[in-house]
Amino acid sequence: MDTLLGILHMCIFPGGIFALVIGFFFKGLDRRVEARLQRRVGPPLIQPWLDTAKLLTKETLIPKTACTQAFLLAPVVGFAGMAVCAAFIPVPGVFDGLSNMGDLLVLFYLLPIPAIAMMMGGSASSSPFGAVGFSREMIIMLAYETPLLMILLSVAMLVGKSMSGGDWGAEFSLLKIVEWQQVNGSLGYNPVMIPAFIAYLIFLPGTMGVAPFDIPEAETEVVEGPLLEYGGPLLALFHVGSALKTFVVLGLGVAMFFPGTIGDFWLVNLIWFVVKCLVLMLISLTVVKSATGRYRIDQAFRFFILVPTMLALCSLLLVWLI
Amino acid sequence: MALDDLLKKNSVRSPWLFRINAGSCNGCDVELATTALIPRYDVERLGCRYCGSPRHADIVLITGPLTTRIRDQVLRVWNEIPEPKVTVAVGICPISGGVFREGYSIDGPLDRYIPIDVNVPGCPPRPQAILEAVALGLKIWKKKLGLEG
Repeated sequence: MDTLLGILHMCIFPGGIFALVIGFFFKGLDRRVEARLQRRVGPPLIQPWLDTAKLLTKETLIPKTACTQAFLLAPVVGFAGMAVCAAFIPVPGVFDGLSNMGDLLVLFYLLPIPAIAMMMGGSASSSPFGAVGFSREMIIMLAYETPLLMILLSVAMLVGKSMSGGDWGAEFSLLKIVEWQQVNGSLGYNPVMIPAFIAYLIFLPGTMGVAPFDIPEAETEVVEGPLLEYGGPLLALFHVGSALKTFVVLGLGVAMFFPGTIGDFWLVNLIWFVVKCLVLMLISLTVVKSATGRYRIDQAFRFFILVPTMLALCSLLLVWLI
Repeated sequence: MALDDLLKKNSVRSPWLFRINAGSCNGCDVELATTALIPRYDVERLGCRYCGSPRHADIVLITGPLTTRIRDQVLRVWNEIPEPKVTVAVGICPISGGVFREGYSIDGPLDRYIPIDVNVPGCPPRPQAILEAVALGLKIWKKKLGLEG
């Protein structure tokens, strides 16, 4: 029964359909707001749906030299990883998350799956641009995973220390972290956690692969890199995976830093959660994307090691010392 | 079948553009890339997007008179674009050869090798003409999908 419920959660409510609707809505709004910031009209809000419909009507081409199994499997792996991930995101006041033990660690392991799927697809496509995209994806992934680990650790340690009464401890259950914050105030307002929150804001464009960190898929340099050889339904699957990932990373940010609720009615809380995700997306992805160019891969690596890692390290040390 | 029709009907609202330079003097490319498709005319409102890969393309815009050196590459890239696709010849060069007509290094006109759906004459064409060609291309795409034009 639990297994069935888990699958339902992955397919319908926080994962699967719900995450897809929210993710596509966010993507459409993102493009619209970006266009408005650049004084354009922009595409309609349902553009991601239209793009997916279009891609489903196109034929699938597989390169002769590609490793067919890995090439076909890569988008499925990326999509499935994110659909599972979404089921772990607690929606405060509505849904508690699939697992209540150590799900922060599970999320840390599951989050790089789309990037790994992209690398798999890129290297299986046997295209030199795919190979370049592969190496860039790898470098930028190593760069942004370090601050992410420190952010998660500082959140877990702050809550764990407080729960165990000032002793050494870490709490890796997102549900308990959310509950602790509902009693003791959101971590986003905690001065100790502000550097970690800023680091998370910088981590978001890195992991979503948008400007200024869209280096692996740079159209003008490596003609979309790993995605170069994909077309039709397979590419649509990559886009769906990316929409799910938008929901996951934004939801994780809201759950870690601003999980407050208003009232007890679930619909209000659900809308409040989506609104918070939306604000997080607008400030960390859309505005940054429409105002910046693209880093070189070495600059991006140095930037990630210098700025967000140091900020997250600050928070971690402060949590450890206080 | 209803789902299939729904997908087809909506798919024409998401045309992704791909450019091929078949030996152009760059005049049409400037009109195309930096004038017709910039914020001022905003083709993104039609759902258009530039894509870097021929595998993602729906509407392919070809400039240039098709020189002998570039012919095979152009044909190869064009063949990699998945069906259904719409081909637009931008500028007078791919249509007739333009000022380079009957030159020793020219293998055009383009429709000796590739079926062209929309011609945009001009040297270079006006941005409005290019946008109209994209809009016409959408109608042809609809026909290719089996919907009424």
